[in-house]
Amino acid sequence: MFHAFFRSTLPVLPLLLVLSPVKASSCAMGNKPTEIRVKYENILSHDINELVNMSAENRDRCCKNNKKENIKVFFCNDTEEIESLQSMACNMLRFYNKQRISKAFRQKAAFVSCGTLQVLQCKCERPKKEKVCSHVFRIEDTETSEQSKKKCSQEVCELKENISSLRSCWNKFEKLISR
Amino acid sequence: MTQPTTVLSIFAMFLHTTFGESGCTSADGTLGDDEPDNFDIDCFSQLEIKDSFSSLTCNFTELSPYNTNYTLSLCTKEDNNYACSNMKKQEDVFFLQFIDILSNRDVCMYSETKRRVCRSLVVTDIVKPEVPFAINITYEREANEYLIRYCTPHSRKKYLKDKLVHQVAYRQKEGTWKTIESPYLQIKLLGKNLENEASYEVKVRSQPNGDYFKGIWSEWSTSKSFWTAREQHSTERYSSVVMVIFSILGFMLSVVMIALIIVFWKNRIKPAVWPNLPDHKKTLEQLCKKPKNNFDISFNPESFGYVHIHKVDGLWAKAELENFLQTSTAPETSLPEKFRSGSDAKVSPVMATKPNLNLPVSYEGLWPAEALCRLLGPSQFAVTEGSCGSSTYEVCHSNRVPLHSTGFNLSSTCPLGLSGQPHPEPLNDDTGSQILPNGDMRSPNNEEAYVTMSNFYKIQ
Repeated sequence: MFHAFFRSTLPVLPLLLVLSPVKASSCAMGNKPTEIRVKYENILSHDINELVNMSAENRDRCCKNNKKENIKVFFCNDTEEIESLQSMACNMLRFYNKQRISKAFRQKAAFVSCGTLQVLQCKCERPKKEKVCSHVFRIEDTETSEQSKKKCSQEVCELKENISSLRSCWNKFEKLISR
Repeated sequence: MTQPTTVLSIFAMFLHTTFGESGCTSADGTLGDDEPDNFDIDCFSQLEIKDSFSSLTCNFTELSPYNTNYTLSLCTKEDNNYACSNMKKQEDVFFLQFIDILSNRDVCMYSETKRRVCRSLVVTDIVKPEVPFAINITYEREANEYLIRYCTPHSRKKYLKDKLVHQVAYRQKEGTWKTIESPYLQIKLLGKNLENEASYEVKVRSQPNGDYFKGIWSEWSTSKSFWTAREQHSTERYSSVVMVIFSILGFMLSVVMIALIIVFWKNRIKPAVWPNLPDHKKTLEQLCKKPKNNFDISFNPESFGYVHIHKVDGLWAKAELENFLQTSTAPETSLPEKFRSGSDAKVSPVMATKPNLNLPVSYEGLWPAEALCRLLGPSQFAVTEGSCGSSTYEVCHSNRVPLHSTGFNLSSTCPLGLSGQPHPEPLNDDTGSQILPNGDMRSPNNEEAYVTMSNFYKIQ
């Protein structure tokens, strides 16, 4: 009888240990929806609009020819908008060091990503990515703006796609929390 | 004796060790009791002062009593670490530019002894806007109002656009300041609240409206002066009203005149002002009008069965007979035939009912005796009163067949123009052998008329 008991209950414990981290969110739920909404409406939304305008200035023709198969697509899942925004923001941080993208553009993209994580009180799975935010926020002076690179690259197209997804997901989330 | 002393000294050392560090680390990192646990500094932030960068400016409100050099830093808590940026000292203030206004910040004071005292800071709650500029004053005479307009640098920026409240201060020279607040970039001062022909001074400043961004008033803008207008008299106002009414009426009148000119130009105005020269061709066409479509033009006698057709030997005879026959209104039979059988019962309806003879009024010639005799016969006729009076008519003169006075009575004043020569000669009722008089037997009137025609022909 005891053998049966242990045999049946013993596998449950490892299973709980394995499964529990999957469901655990890396976003602290300390920020209430009201606080998220006011920060987004008064500050972050303006920066996102500025970033979208910068993205539009980049040539779009080359991205139409590029294969979209290699571009990672992020979805803004229903009831999981915060997690979707977190993954989008963390993914955008990897473009900060891409030299084929103009400096102003990738700095602005990193700024928006860090601002998203700050407003949502989220962290990325890889701690290295968050160090980018420390660097981005500690920029004390504007550097001389270099001429934006005219060359079309795969990274530019991916970044543009990422920016578009981020804005759409924020619009959706903002409507949700404004109700 | 030594054992209790040893125990007491150990105990004292233990107490000193455990409670030697005075105070405890508070949540914000304040520590040390020989250093001020709080410091009085005034800070304000300015958003988007340079591109996307914002700034923080702090200064000590009280001089440090310890006369030590302090440094200020703006720190962000990351996990268990502080990520700080040192503020630059500029005279008596500390200044720092930064880009992140979302994170929760702390301003920390570092002393020479490397001790750190921090205070929490919300950058968006200590915003000081930039100074307004470009004040413009316009006087609206009709409304007697002064429109004051101004600009702010935040109109071209992201965060504080439409998030500010502006305060306008005005005063008469060396007078007391009066203020008006408005969220818009213009206000109006009523002329009735200001003195006439006086000098006024105006200045403006801004502050966050408090919805999300809070803070302090900006510095005052540079003052601008203006003179108020003199008092508007009632007569001036009246004259201006009258002028307006007259101008409106004049405009409406001109519109009506233009419309009338356009409507009547073609038919009335232009023919009167610029008459058309007569066109000979058109005039001739009007005179020589073509017959109407329904005008019967045919040379077939059978198509004119309904019309009395009289054979004519001469022009004058035809006119006489035609007129005479028309007045008798005989339907289908010719007049000579009718009178040939004068005793015939078949008479014209007119004769049966009204034995009157209606001679045409338009006849101007003289009835030939032979024609009359033939026509009239022995029948008793009475001229209708309408055409002539009922009186004796004697038409036959010496060279003609006389008429019977009883057979025919005609007024001497008959408008037919018959000669009233008194020749009571009877009319020959034998009309079968009547011969219409030829041209030699014409009356002088017929000759006269013929002459007239011929004269006309000659003129032609």
